[in-house]
Amino acid sequence: MKIIVTLFLFINIVFASDATIEVIKKAESLPSMAIEDASVSYSDTFKLRFFKALVADMNVISLFNVDRHYRYTHYDLDDVLVENKDKDYVLRYKMSEDDGAILNIDVKLLQHKQEVFSKHYSVKKRDIYMFVSHAIAYDINQFMGEPSVAWMKKKVIFSRLIAPKKTEIVISDYTLSYQHTIIKGGFNIFPKWADAKQNAFYYTSLDGFKPTLKYVDVKKGSIENIISSDGMIVCSDVSEDGKKLLLTMALDGQPDIYTYDTKTKTYKRETFYKGIDVNGQFFQDNKIVFISSRLGYPNVFSKSLDTDEVEQMVYYGKSNSSCSVHGKYIVYEARESSNAFSKNTFNLHLISTESDFIRRLTAVGMNEFPRFSDDGDAILFIKNYKQQSAIGIIRLNYNKNYLFPLKSGRIQSMDW
Amino acid sequence: MKSIVLSSVVTALIVFSGCNSKQPAVDTQEQTTTKPAVQEVETVATETVSPENSMVNGSENGNMSISEIESKLPTVYFDFDKYEIKPAMQEKIDAAAEIGKDAAQDLKVRLEGNCDEWGSDEYNFALGLKRADAVKKALVADGVDAGRISMVSYGKSNPVCTDHTKECWAKNRRVDFKVLP
Repeated sequence: MKIIVTLFLFINIVFASDATIEVIKKAESLPSMAIEDASVSYSDTFKLRFFKALVADMNVISLFNVDRHYRYTHYDLDDVLVENKDKDYVLRYKMSEDDGAILNIDVKLLQHKQEVFSKHYSVKKRDIYMFVSHAIAYDINQFMGEPSVAWMKKKVIFSRLIAPKKTEIVISDYTLSYQHTIIKGGFNIFPKWADAKQNAFYYTSLDGFKPTLKYVDVKKGSIENIISSDGMIVCSDVSEDGKKLLLTMALDGQPDIYTYDTKTKTYKRETFYKGIDVNGQFFQDNKIVFISSRLGYPNVFSKSLDTDEVEQMVYYGKSNSSCSVHGKYIVYEARESSNAFSKNTFNLHLISTESDFIRRLTAVGMNEFPRFSDDGDAILFIKNYKQQSAIGIIRLNYNKNYLFPLKSGRIQSMDW
Repeated sequence: MKSIVLSSVVTALIVFSGCNSKQPAVDTQEQTTTKPAVQEVETVATETVSPENSMVNGSENGNMSISEIESKLPTVYFDFDKYEIKPAMQEKIDAAAEIGKDAAQDLKVRLEGNCDEWGSDEYNFALGLKRADAVKKALVADGVDAGRISMVSYGKSNPVCTDHTKECWAKNRRVDFKVLP
């Protein structure tokens, strides 16, 4: 008996914080929440739009079973609406427009009719209302004492294919409700944020004589050529301090991974395989994880930046053609059947370098371009399913995926 | 006066009808909007014809010959997730190399690699490039000067067919020849 208890304890200690096998909360045990609108300005259409945004955000923080019924009340009313009297939580908000067309939003959280949280928000333009909704969800999550969802406030940048060889680069919020096209016209792909502040980004332009990596300072509105390569050039990853890039270039027609120093403007070839090496990601200390065809099909490998020793990281999946890394975790895209043309799909899988478990994160469709959030709490990805592209959010600790469809075009690539 | 107006109208008709005949891309797009399910395949014509149109707009004679040469050059197709040249495709490349050494000896060629919709886009850009590189090596082996050949990959961003069928995917796994002055 003692042995069994010891073994149980050991398993708990070893795997307690392993996201490949652990899911923190079950949906059925979540407290209930209703959302009440008490706005005094704006049209019914805009009121409903904000309500929908808030319902989506409160769902994504995965702490409540959120009632999706829209109901109207008065902000200062002591009691909650009769329909919501059995709810554990009621989130009540009031939108009001002042003389400067500023959108003001007051929010309070009631727990069993008692106010437990309140805050005032304001933004200059009402068309960025979704960022207020994200901020409210961020604050409620923090109030509930849960790990940060700072990624909710970050901006997504993506390239949208609108016709063959024609794209737009778009900056959006994580739900795609807000969209600002920053580069119109031409064939511009693989946008990648240049640093954590998200004030600049890299992208590949295919409009010139050679594929060229460009750098855009969003605040200054300036564009700078960084480096060109015959055949292809992609910025796959940017180091945390923004000083080093991992590029896939093909200077002699051979796609390999290079490190690029943004200060000295020099590059170093890191892989030398005669097949395909792409999608380099900075990994742990002085290592990279990348996709290579060295087994005859795309799979995930790692390599030290000091030596040429290459290690296979993934042993499951027939065609694992993209990946993202955070700490000890690798999320990768895998085709699970050997038949290329059956109804099989590309699903995302999560592995840990410290255990042998593999967790499947998606179920249907073609799921690609996984990108960890900075803190590893969530994974952003692209789902193509039934002719539609959507951005998906995987909440690893809650085993929940949320999808936000793209109305037109197809997402070519994106970064978070 | 009447005859001047009439002849102007006739001239305009001739000019515009001439323009129309050189712009099948416009017609194709109109058809696509009316019958989207069937017309998807016809984007093949749009993709191959449009660049030729842009060349015709330059100096007539030289560009026409480029256009003629390009029409004789093949599209090289590949198997799923492969960049090796198939025997049937090798014959096409050999014929293209002969054109490259003869009628097109003063011209350059850009090889454009493409992929089907499977797999990640970054991997597909590399795969498209390896396909273009395989064709380049085959052309060089046939005696074409490597300095006249450039390459670009479009990954899966330049499909000629957008149906989700085996036949359609096979059409997209290709290398196109673009002749440059």
